[in-house]
Parts: sequence; C-alpha cells; structure tokens
Amino acid sequence: MRKALSVLLVLLMAFSVFAGGAGESNDEIVIEFWTHEDATRQALEDQYIAEFEEMHPNVTINATRQASSRLVELVQTAFAAGEGPTVFNLTNDAVYSFVSTGNVAPMDYEAAGYADAAAVEDAYIDGMLEAVTYDGEVYGLPLELNNWCIFINKQVFRDAGLDPETDYPKTWEEMVEVSEKLVIRDGDILVRRGYDFRYPYYLETIVPMVEQLGGKLISDDGTEAIIGEDAWIKVLTFMQQWGPNGLNLGSPTYTNARSLFNRNNNDIAMCTTGLYQEARIRSENPEFYESGDWMVVPYPVFEDAVADVSACHYGQYYMVNANEDPETIAMAWEFIAFMLSHGEDYLTKVNLIQPTKELMNSDTYKNMPYSDVFTYDLGRAHVLYYGPHANEIQSLLRTAIEGVMLQGVTPEDAYTQLKTSVQELIDEDA
Amino acid sequence: MKKNKVYSIEQQQARWGFLFTVPCLIFFAVFSFYPIIYAFQTSFTDRQVLSRNYDYVGLENYVYIFTKNNGGFPLSNSIRATLIFTIGTFIPMIIMSLIIATFLMQLRRDKYRGFFQLMYYMPAVLSSVVAAAIWMIIFDPRGLMNQVSNFIMRSSGVDYNWLVDPVMLQVSTIIIYFWKYIGYFVILFITGLAAIPSTIYEAATVDGSSRWHTFWKITLPLLKPTTAMVSIMAMLQCLKTFSTQFMLYQGGSPRAPIDVITMNIYFTGIRNGRLGRASAMSLVLFVIMLVFTYLQLVANRSSEDVEY
Repeated sequence: MRKALSVLLVLLMAFSVFAGGAGESNDEIVIEFWTHEDATRQALEDQYIAEFEEMHPNVTINATRQASSRLVELVQTAFAAGEGPTVFNLTNDAVYSFVSTGNVAPMDYEAAGYADAAAVEDAYIDGMLEAVTYDGEVYGLPLELNNWCIFINKQVFRDAGLDPETDYPKTWEEMVEVSEKLVIRDGDILVRRGYDFRYPYYLETIVPMVEQLGGKLISDDGTEAIIGEDAWIKVLTFMQQWGPNGLNLGSPTYTNARSLFNRNNNDIAMCTTGLYQEARIRSENPEFYESGDWMVVPYPVFEDAVADVSACHYGQYYMVNANEDPETIAMAWEFIAFMLSHGEDYLTKVNLIQPTKELMNSDTYKNMPYSDVFTYDLGRAHVLYYGPHANEIQSLLRTAIEGVMLQGVTPEDAYTQLKTSVQELIDEDA
Repeated sequence: MKKNKVYSIEQQQARWGFLFTVPCLIFFAVFSFYPIIYAFQTSFTDRQVLSRNYDYVGLENYVYIFTKNNGGFPLSNSIRATLIFTIGTFIPMIIMSLIIATFLMQLRRDKYRGFFQLMYYMPAVLSSVVAAAIWMIIFDPRGLMNQVSNFIMRSSGVDYNWLVDPVMLQVSTIIIYFWKYIGYFVILFITGLAAIPSTIYEAATVDGSSRWHTFWKITLPLLKPTTAMVSIMAMLQCLKTFSTQFMLYQGGSPRAPIDVITMNIYFTGIRNGRLGRASAMSLVLFVIMLVFTYLQLVANRSSEDVEY
C-alpha cells in the first residue's frame, strides 16, 4: 500500500512538472505593459501579446496605451506612487532619470536570448544603445529608432512653379527662399505654408542647427551650458525672422505641419518627420501615398555651417520595472525580446525601424521608399540629449525660441536667459 | 449605583447628525486633509518624483520659489497670471450669471426656461480638455474668431493673435472659462431666485414697485446668501484653473502669460520632477485661497441675516 502511494506521489509530481512545460513555473505572472498610442502598431502588438500568452499560459499581459506626450508623466507618477508598470517604453531623454534612481532593471540577457551585454551591443548598429547603457549594463531595448528628414509635397512645389527634384532646399537660407515662393497669405494669416518646424521638439531639431554653426548645448565635460554665443544668436534670429513678427512663414500656433501633410490639402508643402510618417500617409491618405507626389530630402544645413549635422536621432526604449520580483523581470525581458524578434513586420507594416544590424542591412529596409535618405541623415546625426534635466532643458529651449518668435524677446536677451537657466540646472549636479 | 446618563432631544439629534457626517469627515480626512498635511511635509524636503530618498531642507523651497527664477517661470509671475485670470473671470461671471438667471426667471413658460437652462448648462458638462480643443480651433489663425473679428473691425486678413499675444491669450482663456462655467452658476442663481417667496413680489407689485426697483430692493438683498456662496465657489474654481491654460500651452501658445499657479505646480512637480518645490507652491496657493475666502466671508457676513 505504502509502495503504491509512493508511486502515485512520484507520478503526481512528474505530472505537475510536465503540465507547466519543461522548466517553467506555474505561478501566475501579470505583466502591466504601458506604451504610447499608435493605431497602426497596436494591431500588430495585440497579436504578439496573444501569441506570447498562448506560449506562456501562466502569463497575463495587460496593455495600456496613452498619448506619447502623456506617457512619461503617467509612468513617473506611477513610479512615485510605487505602482509603476512592469514593461514600458520611453524616449531616451527620459531614460536617465529612471536608471539613475534605480527604478529600472538591467537586462536579463539570458531571458532575452543574449549571452551578455556585448552580444546585445553587437546585434545593434553603433550608438543605438548609448542612451540606455550605464556601467556596462544595458537597461533598455529600442522599440523604434527615429531620425527626421524633410518630407516634400511635389504637387505644391509644381503649383508654385518649382521643380521639387532640383529646387528643394539644401540650406536653411534656401528654405526661407523656397518657403517665400510657396507661402500663400490672406493678409497676416497663412493659408498655405511652405515649410514649418517641428514645434516644440527643439532638442531634436534646433540644437543640431546650432551645432552646424559651431555651437553646443552642453560642453563635453558637462560643466558649461549653451556654448557659442554667435551660433545661438544666429539661430534665434533665424527663428525670430521665421515667425509672425518677422517674415511670417510659420508659427507654433498653426496646426502642426506633419498632420496637415498627410491630408494633401494644399496647406503645407514641407514638414519634418520620420520614416514612420510613410505608414501614416498610407493609412490616412492611400491615394496620396500611391500618387508618388511626395518625396523625402535630407535635413538642411546653414550656408556657413562648420559641421554637417542633421536632426538628432532618438529611440523609444522598452524598459522593465526593477521593483518587480526576479521571475517577473525575466519574463518581462522574454516578452520584450519576443516582440522585438519581429523587426521586419514592424518595418513593413508600421514603418518602425528597430535598429538591429540584421534589419538595417536587409533588403526589406533598403527597399523602403527613401530609406537611403534616412540612412544618409542617420550618419550625420547624433543621439538626442539624454542627460539629467533633459525635460527641463527642452522646456527652456521652448521659452527661448517661442519668446523670440511670438513675444518680441530679442535673440540676445533670449540667449542670456537660456544660458543662465540651463547653467543653473547643470550646476545643481556639480 | 451607576446612573444612566440622560440626553436631551437636541443632544440626541446632534449625536445622530454627527454619525451621519462621519463618512463625509472620513472621506475629507483621507482625500483632502491627508494630502494637505503630506504636501506641507513634502514642501520641507528636496523630494524628487523618481527618487526614493530625500532630505529635509527646511525653508529652502519657499526661499527658492519666492526669490529665484524657477527656470524662467517664477512664482511671482504665476501669482500675477492667476489673479488676473481670477478677477477677469469670476466678477463678470457672477454679474452675467445673475442677469441671465433673472432673465430666465422672467420667462413665463417652463419649457422655454428649461430649454435655455439646458443650453447654458451644456458646456459645463463637457470636459475642460474638449472645451479647450474646440476653442483652439475657433482661435486658430485661420479660425472663426479671426473671421468674426475682421468682420466686426471691418478689416481683412488681420491676425488678432488670439493664441499668441500675451493680452489676447489671457482674454482667450477668460472667454473659454466664462463660456464653460457660466451655465453652472446660472443654475445656482435660479435655485436661489426660486427660493424667494412669490408673496413678497406680489406685495411689492400691490405697493406699486417697478420691476427695476423690485430687483434692487427685494431680489438682490434676498439673494445675498446665494451670491455669497456662488462668488466664493466661482473664485475658488478660478484660482484652481488648470486645463484651459494647459491645453492652450500644449497647442503652441506661450506659457508665461497664462502660467497660472496650478500650471507651474504641474510643470515643477510632474514634468521636472521636483515634488518639494511643487508642494511649496501648492501650499502658497492654499494660503491664497484661504485668505480670499476669509475676505469674502467677512464681506458677506451680513448675508446670514436674511429671513423671509
């Protein structure tokens, strides 16, 4: 009897082990997954979530989607309350504060299918993990890499008597000239804009313009802010002239240019955006997408530029909450790796680039419309500023630039105020 | 021998009254009183939103917000923006809602009154974000407001910079808020007007009082408790304004002219993660609200004497 009971117990134990799959725990794992809204990406990721849950019956993934501008605040607030999500994605300017405060976990390389940090670095193109690597550990993997070029509506160019293939602006001075030819005004009111900036993403777009002229945001040793008075004042003067109190070519209070671009309503000729815009044009206005009446050109430089710099590249990085238990953290990294193993799908279906060497060298990427332009500009770009106070610096840049554009602040005063305020911030860490 | 204590009817009623208010007191303690105490405590620390550790820094945050530039957005500018908005909004709103409520009470048919009440109240049901989004389309340089302004001013193609010019921007926030909340205060005034016994008006009519005279000598004095309540509510609501200004800023408007205290608290605490400084600012707002409420109560003290 005792022998039979022992056999039964062994059988029961064996059954319980195999029922959960080899080496897998039966403990329920809940992954709270917070990400930014993107209608075209959502369908794809919902499918991956369902597949992952099927592969791991003990795992439940609750996806929550918020506007990208709100996500960082919601994640911060949730962490402050001790209720941070398990997996979330943020841009690289927000990563530093999470890593430096110990709120995100370093990668579980094994769970994500890598041997070590070096193997992860090796899988991605150079510099792509720079913003998420601290003390030799990788803290995030890129959901998407973005760099911005100039999208052009060829029909609007032709309407204004311009040849888009040859007359597109290569310099910022030409951007003003071409925009003057393209703009249609009703008195002071802009009915059609030639080009308009990507307000208020000034770290991404305006800082490179300063760098073209030899200026810098922060010195290499991190002790001095807003370097190169002439460069900054020239760029601030350029923006002042661009705005309603100057040549009146654009303003932050008009509907953003990249949203209007997709509609092809003869109200914008050029805008600054990324490869992902192609999927959005295809989704919102397939007729325009198929018409071939749009093209992409590199980010302009100033005529007297001393450095060839394009708009900064930035990433959306998946990270994992360090406050979760080790089992959940490992599963979260496995989930992230599973989603990111579909790089080609992300590229072909939603035009998002996951910057692995494999994908960037694939025919799929090379055959994407204008991917060569994005690759060219990527070579001229550096990563978006991701040090401490990145958010505050972005806000201070907005104050300076929109001050000269909209409120009659002189470029000299705006420069002085900007330098003082940013210096005050970096001095806090000294 | 122990004697059972005898309670008077009034004491028994008071005890029941206290019991009924206990849930409300608990709710207030948990969701209002505790956060106030917590904010007070946090205002003396250097706590940051993501940091787990913090130190007590005494009055450093208070000194900072009153003496430093706060990254180009000093508290002094926020106090200015809040006071301009509050005074520019709540006084006209009280006057206009009283006038509209009186007008609606004059309507003889209930269905007309109901229709207008609904019309005025409808914007209050909308979320502030939706309201601001609607108005941003109207205030867009190519939007309705410029067209109407050009028509009225007999100009053509002039951009009145509703979302750009510092003065126009403040006017825009006042218009949005006024449109959104006036219906709410109209309803409150209608409730107050309906509570005035009709016999008083009948007596006045018999005595030969004109409508104008009746309004000033009967309606307005008897409406004093309602006016006091509405003005305190409107003022506090205006002092706490946030979403209208925030949406306009998100839409590309400059921040400084409309950087009300709540918006500065939000940017300092949530965007920049400096919870200590943001808590100090919220305590300043709390004190401002307390002082203004006290002044209003003192000004309206005699209103409690009204009896029908």
